[in-house]
Amino acid sequence: MEDNVKEISEVTTPQSQAMFDIEKEHKKQKIQGIVKNVFVYAFLTICAVFAFLPFFWMFISSIKTEMEYRDPTGSFFPDKAMWVNYTAVLKQTNNSGASFIQILVNTLIVGFTSTLIGLVIIIITAYALARMNFKGKNLLFSIMLGTMMIPGEMYTITNYITVSPANLGWSNSYTVLIVPFLVSVYYIYLMRNNFMQIPNSLYQAAKVDGLSDMGYLVKVMIPLTAPTLISITLLKFIGTWNSYIWPRLVNLEQWQMITNWVTKGFTDRDGMVYEKMVEMFGAENAVNYGKSETLNTLKMAAVCIVSLPLFVLFIFCRKYIMHGVSKSGTKG
Amino acid sequence: MTKDKNNLPKTEQVDVQQTSTPAEVVTVGESLEVPTLPTKERVSRFLRSQQGWLFVLPALLLMCVFTFYPIVSAFVNSFKQEYDGLTDTFNGWGVDNFVRVLKGDTGTGGASFLQCLTNTMVLTFVSVPLSTFIALFIAVALKSIKPLQKAYQTVLFLPYLTNSLAMGAVFLTFFQVIGTQRQINAGTAQLGMVNDLLVWLGIEPINWIKGIGLESKKDLVWHLGSVDIPWTKYVIMIIYEVWSGLPFKILILFSALQSVNKQYYDAARIDGASRSTILWKITTPLISPMISYLLITGIMGGMKQYSAVVGVFGPQMGTNYDMGTMVGYIYNYLELGQTGYAYAGSLLLFIIIMIITLINLRVSKKRVTY
Repeated sequence: MEDNVKEISEVTTPQSQAMFDIEKEHKKQKIQGIVKNVFVYAFLTICAVFAFLPFFWMFISSIKTEMEYRDPTGSFFPDKAMWVNYTAVLKQTNNSGASFIQILVNTLIVGFTSTLIGLVIIIITAYALARMNFKGKNLLFSIMLGTMMIPGEMYTITNYITVSPANLGWSNSYTVLIVPFLVSVYYIYLMRNNFMQIPNSLYQAAKVDGLSDMGYLVKVMIPLTAPTLISITLLKFIGTWNSYIWPRLVNLEQWQMITNWVTKGFTDRDGMVYEKMVEMFGAENAVNYGKSETLNTLKMAAVCIVSLPLFVLFIFCRKYIMHGVSKSGTKG
Repeated sequence: MTKDKNNLPKTEQVDVQQTSTPAEVVTVGESLEVPTLPTKERVSRFLRSQQGWLFVLPALLLMCVFTFYPIVSAFVNSFKQEYDGLTDTFNGWGVDNFVRVLKGDTGTGGASFLQCLTNTMVLTFVSVPLSTFIALFIAVALKSIKPLQKAYQTVLFLPYLTNSLAMGAVFLTFFQVIGTQRQINAGTAQLGMVNDLLVWLGIEPINWIKGIGLESKKDLVWHLGSVDIPWTKYVIMIIYEVWSGLPFKILILFSALQSVNKQYYDAARIDGASRSTILWKITTPLISPMISYLLITGIMGGMKQYSAVVGVFGPQMGTNYDMGTMVGYIYNYLELGQTGYAYAGSLLLFIIIMIITLINLRVSKKRVTY
């Protein structure tokens, strides 16, 4: 008996020791987990602040007075919001007399037209490449894909000469902004792959039901590939919104796009900002910067105006935009 | 289409699959199906089978004018000496354009190619790996938390869709010193947010945009040119490019992490692997295809960067194009009317991109572990 008891006690002691160890280990892990979490959250918070700061700063700067903006001790929250900055920027005309509205209309016309025509071309080309049989199809498709390797700047030089007054004479028009960018090989490739994924049996079923090829494309294939089509539409439009180089090369200011507009210097041309500052802070506190000096607050207001649609689009159509971008790796 | 089409697909498919012996197939098809087909019918049937060309015609025509022709003409025109595209005049053939571009001997006061190449390389090969590295950390951190994960995700993805010129102007304001020499001396100039931070930390402020050091704020004397700090311009661009490149990379790596099988982590924990071991020995190799994809697309995009630099430094890309990029070089000479140099620059850019593509293909084959 005694032996037995001894044995049991001998067995239990290391067991309780082990239990204790496990508890200790648990505690250690718990503390480690907390420390880890603190680090992770701190790291993510710093990154989130870094990501958000430029947006915050551009908005805050856009509603500051120029005096406050240039103050040596920078402020994070202005005392009074100068909404007049926005009015001044929107009312301002540039050297060639083009207003913001004119530039916005340019951008919208070019954006809608090029997206619409571009989509039709993408769809019919992708359909032919995916579903129709004709001699030389594969060769054509390989050549088209091959052009994706070549940097776009190589085309731009020749296209600049092609559309110049000596040749096509398209300068200072909407045509020059629309036509050269209608075909996008990458989107054709994307749509073709989408079309190929639709099973052939659907086509045969549609045929039995007496649907023509065109009817099949419109009634079956386009609805089935709608998510990709929405992505392409959005990305094409964003591309137009952000286009800068080509409009600057080929068109004068009144024919340029919204991104060109935001890069120019904004001055207090009509004295509107100064009047408002006098009204809000009194004549002794207001500084008149005149027509010659570029006002940073106005520039930031312009930056906000151009960024706002992108922001709204991203919030409401995030899924579609990410879908398109994650496949292409490029934006717009 | 009519009923004929319904009978056709089989023969057509045979036709496509056995392109090596098309004549044979056609004769077999003819002899089997309709031995006495009128020529008119045969022609119309052939035309119907080639209807696809009608569908691709608009795209093909546009590409001929705006894609294929420019490629050919770039290769031809870059060998025309003293070429002016708008008047289409040149002075003999030769490699003169390339020699002058590489030597920087263009005689027009435009950008220098080697400077542009260096800038592009430095910016790309610092900012792309750096942002991928940070994005990996953020993705792993984001994956490991439960509460507030969605909120952090939303904020971190915010810079996803931006206008590079507009945001460039915002980044400029972080670094810009606003005020005249007198105002700086009097201490009434705005030094910019980054300089304020430096002063608060007890470090001397810097004129980031011009690349000149300022003496401490107590007695602000601007050492014009005496303290030359050329790297500050790169710092601005790298910070900006990391900021704008992060969201896409986080998104890709985050979704890659979510597809990793949990069993690997369980097994590693049982074997007593530490967190850093798990990160570097398990997670990173498992998502290495995505990392290499990000590096390749990032470097390709970085070689073609232009508008981000213009957004920060303006169309002149710094002082006398000292922050110019390769694409900026091409546009610079195009606007100067020196089309030959622009063509030569674009061809050199093409060659450099080709070389990087080949290196990437070789390296990624070795590095991607599965």
